[in-house]
Amino acid sequence: MQRDKFYKEIENVEHPNEKLIKTHCSYCGMQCGMNLRVNTMTNKIIGVEPRYDWPVTVGKMCPKGVTAYQQTNHDDRILRPLIRDDASLKGTKEGFREASWEEAYDLIAEKFGELQQNYGKDSLSVFSGVSMTNEKCYLTGKFARVALGTRYIDYNGRFCMSSAAGGFLRSFGVDRGSTLPWTDIHETDCLFIAGSNTAECHPTSMFRIWNVQERGGYIIVVDPRETPIARRADLHLDLKPGTDLALANGIVHLLIEKGYADEEFVNQHTNGFEETKELVRQFTPEYTSYLTGVAPEKIERAAEIYGKAPNAVVMFARGIEQQHKGVDNVSGYTNMALVTGKIGRPKSGVATFTGQGNGQGGREHGQKSDLLPGYRKITNPQHVQEVCNVWGITPEEMPKAGVSAYEMFELMDQKEIRGLYLLCSNPAVSAPNLNFVRNAMKNLDFMVCADFYLSESAEFADVILPSVTWSEDEGTVTNIEGRIIKINKAQEPLGESKPDWQMQVELAERLGKGENFAHLKTAKDVADEFRLASKGGSADYYGATWDKIEKQDGVFWPCKNDEDQGTPHMFLDKKFYHADGKAQICALPYRPPAEEPCEEYQLRLTTGRVVYHYLSGNQTRRIKFLKDMCPEPYVEVHPETAATYNMEHDERIRLYTRRGEAIYKVKVTEAIRKDTVFVPYHFGHEESINLLTIPALDPKSRMPEFKACAAQMQKLDPKKVL
Amino acid sequence: MKKRLYIELENCIGCRSCLAACTQCGGHEQRNRNYVYDVNPHVNRQTMPLMCLHCENPACARSCPAQAIQIHETGAVLSALVEKCIGCQNCTIACPYGIPKFDEEENLMYKCDLCIDRTKDGIPPMCASVCPSNTLQWLTEEEIEQKQQQHDLDNGKWVTSMPYLEGETNVKVNLPGILQGTEKLF
Repeated sequence: MQRDKFYKEIENVEHPNEKLIKTHCSYCGMQCGMNLRVNTMTNKIIGVEPRYDWPVTVGKMCPKGVTAYQQTNHDDRILRPLIRDDASLKGTKEGFREASWEEAYDLIAEKFGELQQNYGKDSLSVFSGVSMTNEKCYLTGKFARVALGTRYIDYNGRFCMSSAAGGFLRSFGVDRGSTLPWTDIHETDCLFIAGSNTAECHPTSMFRIWNVQERGGYIIVVDPRETPIARRADLHLDLKPGTDLALANGIVHLLIEKGYADEEFVNQHTNGFEETKELVRQFTPEYTSYLTGVAPEKIERAAEIYGKAPNAVVMFARGIEQQHKGVDNVSGYTNMALVTGKIGRPKSGVATFTGQGNGQGGREHGQKSDLLPGYRKITNPQHVQEVCNVWGITPEEMPKAGVSAYEMFELMDQKEIRGLYLLCSNPAVSAPNLNFVRNAMKNLDFMVCADFYLSESAEFADVILPSVTWSEDEGTVTNIEGRIIKINKAQEPLGESKPDWQMQVELAERLGKGENFAHLKTAKDVADEFRLASKGGSADYYGATWDKIEKQDGVFWPCKNDEDQGTPHMFLDKKFYHADGKAQICALPYRPPAEEPCEEYQLRLTTGRVVYHYLSGNQTRRIKFLKDMCPEPYVEVHPETAATYNMEHDERIRLYTRRGEAIYKVKVTEAIRKDTVFVPYHFGHEESINLLTIPALDPKSRMPEFKACAAQMQKLDPKKVL
Repeated sequence: MKKRLYIELENCIGCRSCLAACTQCGGHEQRNRNYVYDVNPHVNRQTMPLMCLHCENPACARSCPAQAIQIHETGAVLSALVEKCIGCQNCTIACPYGIPKFDEEENLMYKCDLCIDRTKDGIPPMCASVCPSNTLQWLTEEEIEQKQQQHDLDNGKWVTSMPYLEGETNVKVNLPGILQGTEKLF
């Protein structure tokens, strides 16, 4: 693999009685390369050493990555299966007793069997996640459909990447999160970054991003907050939360009007230009400014810079995607690249910052309610037949499409779903409208949770199965670029914990489906079946063998056969994945957030992340260094707004919406809009900001609108503060 | 080839990965010996790392009555020798940057030793190894010279050591403002 200018040949430090295991971080989509230090006397992970030869991140790690190894042998690990006999204790940490795997499996098989006998196959559900290997994600889809036979499976990507997926599918006909490798980023001339707090959420992108400016290129950032990257950007478009589509339309309008459209590219390789041109015409700088709150001259300058740039990359993240028009926002910003033809060549393209470690691979292979391996559709009979051939079932046995993550909680509330198998996710923190979601989990007839720590969601379980951390198993992950990489095992599972794929194989046996699973004895066995199941799909991994991944420093999908080296750059032949080979420029009418500020709720609430925590915080809140750096949530408030409400820095106040309330410390900062407040979402129980967020779902991606709702602040009664 | 720690203050994003990494250097007892400050937290998100600059004539060592602070042949100013440190805390007062800290329980000063177990063999210290923003870099003299030329604004704003710092330092610092001299591509 080619090395770029940031690569330096550096030898690692090797201490006596230690070995280094090459792997990647457990956390975000950057999947930074790292070496785990393993004591060869105790065979335990004891530390981390940079992996200088990993081409994407050349040894760099954020504070989460540096301390990630501390998860493995942490005191909070669950070492044996836990059973809680007293259902009245659901929603607390109390009442669990240790049990054998035999007893736990027997109980699960009995209860699941009873529920399905009494209420039908679809009374069970699987709620999964994508912070785990492709092999586990793949098998979870098969486990739900074949072992449990239920239609109800979905995953936490609905709270993360589903809008990006929906937008890319509509614009390009294929959903690969980045059309180009990350090693191109520092060589482009303009980065247009919308709704990404990159410095905190994908810190190891920053050395490449800053280099664009050092070379004389431009960084344009779209964000309601002056994040660390916005602070140094050439242009900061400080829009109101939830108004991205208006801004995208406004910029596309200017790109066309000022002559930056690439007519040849548009004519030969796209559809939809004329309708879009007509639709965006009304989005003049003044009208766009009225909708977004961004000064007209900033909008004009942004269009000018992006339009003039010889090469440019449009990038975005959850800020634009976690809206009830997230899919439209993605296609709207993608229009910029399609109208100007800045795509399908090196150093130009479109990318989303993948949130979870395997947010890309995990959404492609059948954990989504309507998808099967290889990005196949469960509604397409031919796709179903192809997967049935691998799984050894008939198309009649394949369950129908289910519903999205949040909608599963609605079905639990309606008692249509009565049992839940939860893994790799913590929806009791990460789902919106938590009062409703927690209540739905509490009222389940039977719930199983597989996790390596007792998460807030595990507190609702009847049975907890101890899973392993990422460092105690092997498999592949697809990183932010669409590069399939290899996670390696550094330590044997702690206590009696097991990898999720093994639990599912063993449970399938108990559920009478052993013949479809018993041949899967190792992670490699799962990998081989998974590659075969993806073969021929749009996300084809068949040629991405573990050997090839090792030899090439990863393999970019699609990779169809042994000779295929993979696809670092998408669309170099200007062929898109729609039937006619053209990309779709989308005419997208603007609509405001589902809930706008009003007399009663005057502020715009937006949520997000801090650099020290990952997702629901179930992992990072247990790591001392990270916990010390950010022990509790807070609400960011502009000083003028704080003055209006007569609130001081560090004062504890009540923040509330139509759905819930919480008490937070005020953090006064000028780095936020006056009409907006921000709270990080990584915290549990009464500290969760998702008690307040709105479950307004995108019509296509079913993504909730975490990023915008109406809220109000109130001073606490001084007597109660004390 | 001699390499030095080089600090590009403009790049800092406040992630404090350098602090986390410092705790991971074998010799540091899981305690960070570098610091990151919020420059003006109520106004913006600017942050800056505060690292030992490894002065050529270090005030900490000069102030030590027990010769507990040794200077390694690479120029790294080492943490106090356990057997010599008398816990007088002179060094914590003498250092103009506040780098040496005092451990009350151990009655011992501790400070950055530039990960001497790594840097003596030319391997970058943990902080510069992991720094996601390239605020902390591990560069050859030639690379530092290049940086200086690249950012020479001819107005005295590119600062390595003199005259703004207390004295000559092994670590080179580039103050914020590097982009002011950058010629835009278009």
